[in-house]
Amino acid sequence: MTPTAQELHPAPMLEPGRTILELRGLEKRYPGTHALKPVNLAFKSGEIHAIVGENGAGKSTLIKLLTGVMPRTSGDVIWEGKPAALATPHEAMALGINAVHQEVVLCRHLTVAANMFLGEEESRFGILQQRAMVRQAQTIIDDLGFDLPAHVVLGDLTIGQQQLIAAARATVRGTKFLIFDEPTAYLTRKEADQLFTLIRRLKSEGVTIIYISHRMEEVFELADRVSVLRDGTLVGTRTIAETNDAELVKMMINRSIEQVYHKEHFTPGAAIVEARNLSGKGFEDISMTVRAGEIVGLYGLIGAGRSEFVTSLYGRHRRSAGQILWEGRPVQINSEHDAIKLGMALAPESRRDQGLCLNLPVGLNLNLPIYKRISNNLLISNAKEKAEADRQIAGLRIKTPTRGALASSLSGGNQQKIVIGKWLAHGAKLFIFDEPTVGVDVGTKAEIYRLFGELLSKGAGIILISSYLPEVYELADTLHVFRRGKLVATHGFHTASHEDILTQALAEKQEKMGGQT
Amino acid sequence: MSIEAIPADKPKRNYNVLFGLTLLALLVLLWIVLSLATPSFASGNNIANLLRQGSMIAIMAVGQTFVIITGGIDLSVGAVVGFATVVVAMLINAGVPIALAILITLLVGVAIGLFHGFGIVKMGLPPFIITLATLTSLRGIGLLMTNGNSININSDSFTAFSRNSFIGIPNLFWMVILVGVPAYIFLHHSRWGRYLFSVGSNAEASRLSGVNVQRTIYMAYTLSGLCAAFVGVLLAARIGIGNPTQAEGWELQAIASSVIGGTSLFGAVGSVHGPLLGAFILATINNGANLLNVNSFWQRIITGALIIIIVYFDGLRRRGK
Repeated sequence: MTPTAQELHPAPMLEPGRTILELRGLEKRYPGTHALKPVNLAFKSGEIHAIVGENGAGKSTLIKLLTGVMPRTSGDVIWEGKPAALATPHEAMALGINAVHQEVVLCRHLTVAANMFLGEEESRFGILQQRAMVRQAQTIIDDLGFDLPAHVVLGDLTIGQQQLIAAARATVRGTKFLIFDEPTAYLTRKEADQLFTLIRRLKSEGVTIIYISHRMEEVFELADRVSVLRDGTLVGTRTIAETNDAELVKMMINRSIEQVYHKEHFTPGAAIVEARNLSGKGFEDISMTVRAGEIVGLYGLIGAGRSEFVTSLYGRHRRSAGQILWEGRPVQINSEHDAIKLGMALAPESRRDQGLCLNLPVGLNLNLPIYKRISNNLLISNAKEKAEADRQIAGLRIKTPTRGALASSLSGGNQQKIVIGKWLAHGAKLFIFDEPTVGVDVGTKAEIYRLFGELLSKGAGIILISSYLPEVYELADTLHVFRRGKLVATHGFHTASHEDILTQALAEKQEKMGGQT
Repeated sequence: MSIEAIPADKPKRNYNVLFGLTLLALLVLLWIVLSLATPSFASGNNIANLLRQGSMIAIMAVGQTFVIITGGIDLSVGAVVGFATVVVAMLINAGVPIALAILITLLVGVAIGLFHGFGIVKMGLPPFIITLATLTSLRGIGLLMTNGNSININSDSFTAFSRNSFIGIPNLFWMVILVGVPAYIFLHHSRWGRYLFSVGSNAEASRLSGVNVQRTIYMAYTLSGLCAAFVGVLLAARIGIGNPTQAEGWELQAIASSVIGGTSLFGAVGSVHGPLLGAFILATINNGANLLNVNSFWQRIITGALIIIIVYFDGLRRRGK
């Protein structure tokens, strides 16, 4: 008989409802900023406690303090009745505090099993017991209900599946307090459901869950209580039954929810770009038109071929068939350079991998596409370089100490503004936004949507890719649904229901995933 | 308020200048200590000699820095120097006018750099591998061309150049200025310099922003090859011979100078003044050790230890601030 995950790693028997961790006046100052103002908060064992707030509200600081990544400035942390120093990550883990981060921090080149046992490998006489570890890892994974093999290399899994493995890894280490930092940002709906099942199960075992997310419906689906942070201050804590979307959003931003999705309707003008039967790696036979003044939304699951389609349109990847018409004329787009010259701009999916030079200054990132314009044949004009960068920083309200600060030092929402800002400076007729609001707070989202309106009013066209249905649903004039590399449905503004669109995006995929091993 | 924006990040340019100043302070400190410790260090002759020694590594280090900023490495530069001494020696002995001989040698350096670019961009080879391959092959080609012998250069006006001075400063050091000033303008005040940094930081993001990444990589290796070939010409003038085994291990000295000068081997961090100072710090240590009669075996150990210490403190400071 195979042992279950529980027998291998007995869960700590915790009495539910007792206070496990208490923050008393927890505070963090950085030179020049008060990142976290004294917070008093008690977490109960066996509760799912959501924390929401805009980017930069203090959520990441709180996580860093709790996981021992950074020292606190003042205040006490009481763990199971005793003060805890939490000076190092190791100390936090030894107490049973663990975190699952938004970006997977595991070794892509090792197997799933090797990752799960990383740091506590089983060995006999110094020889790794590889097969035993694979077997045990498989048992744990099966037991959690994830349909994933333990012997494959982690990098071969999708990002979402890797995220599930990261979560599974955190559960087998005697964890009593587990922090999830936006775990669903890159998950498909099915993967998210698996994750939620895991979270509920951990809760039933008495583990305390801190759940950080920008997605309100997840908070309401999962959490028992929710705390709101704004500008480093704990605004309040509510039990989930006595609050609602509108109240939380208001606490977060002091602004009502209707103002978030800012949609302006324009009469569409002439066609800017027309794709005719485009095929390439990851997408097949896609045709669509984008006209001046309209937002064309592309909805589908991650991996449905939307990003592949737009990057090919942008000349980054080769196309195997099809034709592109730009303002009615057939054009050849063989490189990004060709696309940019015609008047296309792409704000890509991953800020970290495709969007930004993180260890370079904000100003350099903003000016990257326009260096040709701000230099004469030989030299860059210092004055123009400064003026252009400052213009975007002021115009988009990018929160940065100076244009010389490194892009990596900014919060997610402000980094996204840089990615968008560089194309505003350059100018374009067709803007492609690939998941522009992933990991971006509500306030910045609203600013980005308002910006869409401005671009449209100036006669630009927009392609908006989003895996977040409410976003494309509320914003797109034309909504195309992608499934497994094909365009399967097209709707006008609000002409179909959420359920219909979701079904069209999912249908075949779910049958397929059932049979996966 | 964005939390992460706080850690008092000084603007990067200021930081670079600051680091340059501490390196300069270190260099001056070394000079003062050596002047007091040995009678001969501060003599005009020795200083001129020191400047000559440091100049060639300094010029190579500038080219190397361009490559390292893009996240690459050029291991071939020492071999290019040796090979260039052979090329220029053969051309001059064959009666080619000196100016033309130098120009052709520089073009050979450019061609080698273009080949590196080709190997990296078109064949997808890692920079370490392609430049390692040229390192060994170039030495071999040079040996074939010379049958393993040295070629004595029969032109006094060519060799005299390296011994002479202009307004009291050795000609070789003027060459550092000749290379350093345009290199500084190129790296810090032209868009191609910005592209070197952006490619080193994130090639994909640069590409999607319209930067021609391939051309940028070609450019970095071409400039490195050009600098190395130029150093080959200077070396040939200094020693009066062409010999393919010259400049053994200079690639490591060039890399060390660059790294001491604050260049990050991970790319996207570097300057022109840093590697120049780094090269002269290394030259001063070697020169001082000679004057102090330190065994030359120890000199190598000291140089190694110094690289570790300087880069360690640089890393500490980066993390601290």
